Amino acid sequence: MTRYAMVMDQRRCIGCQSCTVACRTWNELPMDIIYNPVVSEGVLGEFPEVHQTFTPLICMHCDNPPCTICCPCKASQQDEDGIVWVDETKCMGCKVCVNSCPYGARDVNHDEGFVRKCTFCKDRVREGEQPYCVATCHQKARIFGDLDDPESDVSKLVNRLVTERFFEELGTDPQVYYIPDLGGVK
Amino acid sequence: MSHKMDTNKLEKHYWIWPIAWYLFLGGLGGGILFAAGILDMVFHAGYILALGVLFAVACLGIGSMLLIFELGQPKVFLRVFLSATAIIKWGACLLILAMGFGFIYFLFWLPPEWNLFWYPWLWIRDLCAVLMALFGLCVVVYTGVLLSTMKAKPFWNTPVLPVLFTVSALSTATAALALLAGMWPSYEYILAMIGSDAMAQAMAGEVLHANKEVMMEILHIADKILVIAEIVVLLLYVLTTRASGNLTAKAVALEWISGKKALLFWVGMMLCGLTIPFLLYQLGGVGAEYVAPVLVLAAGLLLRFMIVYSDRRRSMPGEEQYYRRLPKGDERFLQGWKAPY
Repeated sequence: MTRYAMVMDQRRCIGCQSCTVACRTWNELPMDIIYNPVVSEGVLGEFPEVHQTFTPLICMHCDNPPCTICCPCKASQQDEDGIVWVDETKCMGCKVCVNSCPYGARDVNHDEGFVRKCTFCKDRVREGEQPYCVATCHQKARIFGDLDDPESDVSKLVNRLVTERFFEELGTDPQVYYIPDLGGVK
Repeated sequence: MSHKMDTNKLEKHYWIWPIAWYLFLGGLGGGILFAAGILDMVFHAGYILALGVLFAVACLGIGSMLLIFELGQPKVFLRVFLSATAIIKWGACLLILAMGFGFIYFLFWLPPEWNLFWYPWLWIRDLCAVLMALFGLCVVVYTGVLLSTMKAKPFWNTPVLPVLFTVSALSTATAALALLAGMWPSYEYILAMIGSDAMAQAMAGEVLHANKEVMMEILHIADKILVIAEIVVLLLYVLTTRASGNLTAKAVALEWISGKKALLFWVGMMLCGLTIPFLLYQLGGVGAEYVAPVLVLAAGLLLRFMIVYSDRRRSMPGEEQYYRRLPKGDERFLQGWKAPY
């Protein structure tokens, strides 16, 4: 089995927004839609020990996605490899999935009418390539791979380092793991 | 292209006024079907409430139309029935069933001189009364459940919300029934239905007249109780979310209690929408007959709007700051250089 997942190494992210721009280019997004903003927190800490945290956001491709069970049209769906995506011809644009996502990963453009979201670039991934945001990241802060493969970078990182996930208490089981900028070996 | 771009995803409302109106009309229509069905079963007061049932079916119909036209791609809306798990699918089915049984029930109250062939089949009417009450109640509960299942919206994600919506829907429904009761079919018209014998007319007239008075009294008392219940549940809702451990829910509740929605909440909802109607019902007269029900209906609509626009999502760390820094008002510039191919 394949289970695609992503690791965000916040120790390496410098907040350059290259991934944001790359994503817009590859997926030809409308102007008002952003799949993967890089948000920042800080300056944190006390001088001289100060730091700033950059958090690349993206759809978490949850194992228990609240956005697919609420879709009445079966347009919002999850494939066997874990990728959550929207079939835009089947989506009637009721926006219930947009409201149900705790991560704000979904958006809808007024002129198009259907819901859009990150697909882990499944057109690229299924041809053996990396998602475009991962391929673009010159800091190697975004790492993508198969979590079920013990030799993959993501499974090594997730198993050896301290990682965090967002809003785990909601039971969504998100599959994007963050290595905190002050994190380290287990 | 003239559409204004809204890049701040945290402050963007994905569900807007059509949804608020739909939640109001769905609750009102479903509530009327429930109340009319029950009252017909218990008091055999169907003729007083017939117009209310037609009004309820119209409310549900208009609400469904609003839902469909609010969709991004209305041409694929029939796909709504495909999923087994989606709450919206169940809502759509319940709406259709409630409207259908309500309409069939109403067909038995058409003018008697039309002599339609189904008039003698009274068991169908009684069956429809039961079914429309059942599915009406389901629609009412569904409008609240739809919002309360959303884990992403902390202010909605509480079991008190369906209770609040149910109580509010029943209070608006009772108010609407009180406004419409006895308006049609008219008193004379009912007499015509009974027969031409003068003695029978006089007796039946007395009974019917008393019935209408009694029915109004029942509706007013029911609405008084429901208004009090709504005050309690609404306070519980806002105060429990205020005390909630979720900071987002807490912030929205504070907006209601002492923030930018406080005037609407305390003066609009609590005072004008619930307390004053209760006092007017208590005083009786024109105020109880016309003003109080209208105020209760307005409060129901205001409540749906306030809740639909309290759809704040919990911010990811740093997200708020990010969206605040995105450019605003640059739509023409950003879209002006699009290649013309």
